[in-house]
Amino acid sequence: MRILLVQPAPFECGRIGLENALWMSEPGALTAIAACVEDEHEVRIIDMRLEEADVLPRVLASFKPDLVGVTCMTTDAYQAQAVLHCAKSILGEQVFTLLGGHHPTLVPGEHDYEYIDAICIGEGEDTFTELVAHLAGGGDPNDLHAIDGLAFRSGDAQIQTSKRSQARELDTFPAPARHLLDAYKGQYFFASAINMAAIQTSRGCAFDCNFCAIWEFYEKKVRFLSSKAIADRMEECEEPFIFFLDDNFLTRPKRLEELCDEIERRNIKKYWMIQGRTDFVVENPELMKRMRDCGLMMVLSGFETNDAGTLESLKKDNTRENNLKAAKLLNDLSIITTGIFMAHPDFEAQDFEDLYAAINEMKITIPLVVIHMPLPGTQSWRENKDSLLTEDARFFDLLHAVVPTKLPRREFYERYAAWNESTEASIDSSLSMRFMARRPRLMMAMRPGMKLFGERREVLRKALNDPENYLRDEDEIIGELPIAAQRASESVARETEGVTV
Amino acid sequence: MSTILIEKEEPVIEAEETEMELSPWLAELRDEVAAHPGVNHLLLSRLRTGRYTKGDYRVFGLQHYPMVGTFTRYMELLLLRAPSSEQKLWLAKVLVDEYGEGSDGEDHASLYLKYLYSMGVEPGEEESTPLCTAVWEFIGNHLRICREEPFLVGLGALGPGHEWAIPKMFHKIIPGLERAGMSYDDRLYFDLHTEQDIDHANWMSEALEQLGQDDEARAQVRRGALLSLGARFRFWTGIERCVVARRQPHSVDAVRRGLLGRRRPDREESPGNRQELFQAIQDNWSGKDWPVRLPSDSELLEVSQ
Repeated sequence: MRILLVQPAPFECGRIGLENALWMSEPGALTAIAACVEDEHEVRIIDMRLEEADVLPRVLASFKPDLVGVTCMTTDAYQAQAVLHCAKSILGEQVFTLLGGHHPTLVPGEHDYEYIDAICIGEGEDTFTELVAHLAGGGDPNDLHAIDGLAFRSGDAQIQTSKRSQARELDTFPAPARHLLDAYKGQYFFASAINMAAIQTSRGCAFDCNFCAIWEFYEKKVRFLSSKAIADRMEECEEPFIFFLDDNFLTRPKRLEELCDEIERRNIKKYWMIQGRTDFVVENPELMKRMRDCGLMMVLSGFETNDAGTLESLKKDNTRENNLKAAKLLNDLSIITTGIFMAHPDFEAQDFEDLYAAINEMKITIPLVVIHMPLPGTQSWRENKDSLLTEDARFFDLLHAVVPTKLPRREFYERYAAWNESTEASIDSSLSMRFMARRPRLMMAMRPGMKLFGERREVLRKALNDPENYLRDEDEIIGELPIAAQRASESVARETEGVTV
Repeated sequence: MSTILIEKEEPVIEAEETEMELSPWLAELRDEVAAHPGVNHLLLSRLRTGRYTKGDYRVFGLQHYPMVGTFTRYMELLLLRAPSSEQKLWLAKVLVDEYGEGSDGEDHASLYLKYLYSMGVEPGEEESTPLCTAVWEFIGNHLRICREEPFLVGLGALGPGHEWAIPKMFHKIIPGLERAGMSYDDRLYFDLHTEQDIDHANWMSEALEQLGQDDEARAQVRRGALLSLGARFRFWTGIERCVVARRQPHSVDAVRRGLLGRRRPDREESPGNRQELFQAIQDNWSGKDWPVRLPSDSELLEVSQ
């Protein structure tokens, strides 16, 4: 079979966002499932974030895939649908279209369209392998009942087959087929770290923050790749930088000690970036130092807020003190901190000021302020569904307020859009001469990407700093009334009309 | 196996097409047109799957509107160059229809204006809105094809390149217009072209069957279709950039500077509005050069390679 896997663009061509200006990593989900079938089938990957729009229809017409698979999160859901619609439009019924990823897993009903043949629910490797074998063996594309982990249309309704078990040890999966991304080599980046590879060393998270869907996707189980396998994959990377895609890398100190052992023993010289919690940083200062010496250059953490009460309401199971201590410790170690903070829709003017002041006090190298929102599939979403002002997937990008704001919306966005300017002091004090002097080799490695990132940062800031950008996005889409209330009022109107008639 | 019922979304039903049977070479060309990136630009699928608003379609419409008044000009140019009366007759049939016959007295331009005004365009705005380079390119390309290329290349551009392409493209646009709240009456221009142009396509097919007697003739028809569709692809890309720029004006500069990971930077700012465009068409008729650099044939053909 010929199989085309597509990473959709996060939004329309030419739009500026965090995904194309600050951080673009390899499509790890696609290389992971490609590896499961590439020995027996011809597989290609195209990354529409890095391609001109003509590439997709050209490849569809020339490669004539039997199966097109797309992965998506929430914000790129419509873009993923557009890819599959385009595939059906060009190839007709002869192509099988498959959608996977977080958003379709958590809300498959939102993808029940005639141009999507099936949705992969949950982890994709085994489901994809079985589906490909079924289709390649001449199986009926409309009879997928025997394959676990799928949703598809049957008659008048979308049905789901039995849940796919997500218990397989990560070491038993084949290594991702990264060679299928050779055409894009050197184009993935985080800030100035251009030419960046990506490795996922664990799946799932043991915490249950109410704004996050990761633990729900992986059913609160966490599985790990062995240190040996991680080191093997690191050695295979030609890129100087590696982003570990784990949602929470900083867990199980013993595993990380073993990884450092492997890195030291094999003399692996890579700079790597991770996502992890601040409590782990505080509790394991020596391990953080050792990881720094093994190449750790950046930790991205959800600091979330500057007040203890909010941390509790988010079920973060962490403290403000940990955030402060972790920021200081990382700065002292000359590890770049990327800190994510949330502006809440119920913020008043002073709340914004307090948050920005707290960020400056913490000296975060790359502060990112996002807007707290109930992301589809999360506990927060289920609790706040009736307050949603929109169900438009594009707005769940952490940059828009999808529930009513306490401040008038214009003022809310004016104060929110000020975060870049207002946290400039944090960047300046973090990236001190001392910081840079302690890591001269890292600075040299990042040097080739500094000019490009500087330019990207400039255009990103222009977009993020302009409150009109957010308001223009909302135009005609976000009204004053929540969707649920609008529907209720329309329903009453219809009933009244019926009575009148 | 457990079965979970999930609420069903109603699929949008596309209109039935009833096209005439074609000889193998034309059927192959029709398939090539149907699969061409110009007909399957991601913007069109995005319009189908995304949530675009009247404001977005307003931008789209203001850029698209100039195309409405120029198709007849291409036809007129080609009519002059048709080598026989029979061919002139085929073209004239389509031309009369394009002038507005069969549209209850409302020609295409009036229908399109109705669409624009239903989206809040102020009278006159359709004349004064700056048009993106891609619009000028598209129209300039077609004027050139119809004036300078062999007759069959022109016929390929206007026949397969337009009549076969438009119903397929508009089928994708209509569900988005519906979703944005546009009534059938307001979007009649689009609906009409999914119905009427099937007749046009059939007339054209009949002509092409008779004219495409040898490989050279067939190659000319194909070349015309691909040139037109290559220009169409660039046109949709330009429209998409305009729609994005409405909500995020800062993106224009970023794209021009090639900062967002893509390979081709955008062209420069607008060459002019519709009034200026139509003046340029008049001037071009009188022999003046087209004021915008046109993409080369190889640039247009490479879209489908």
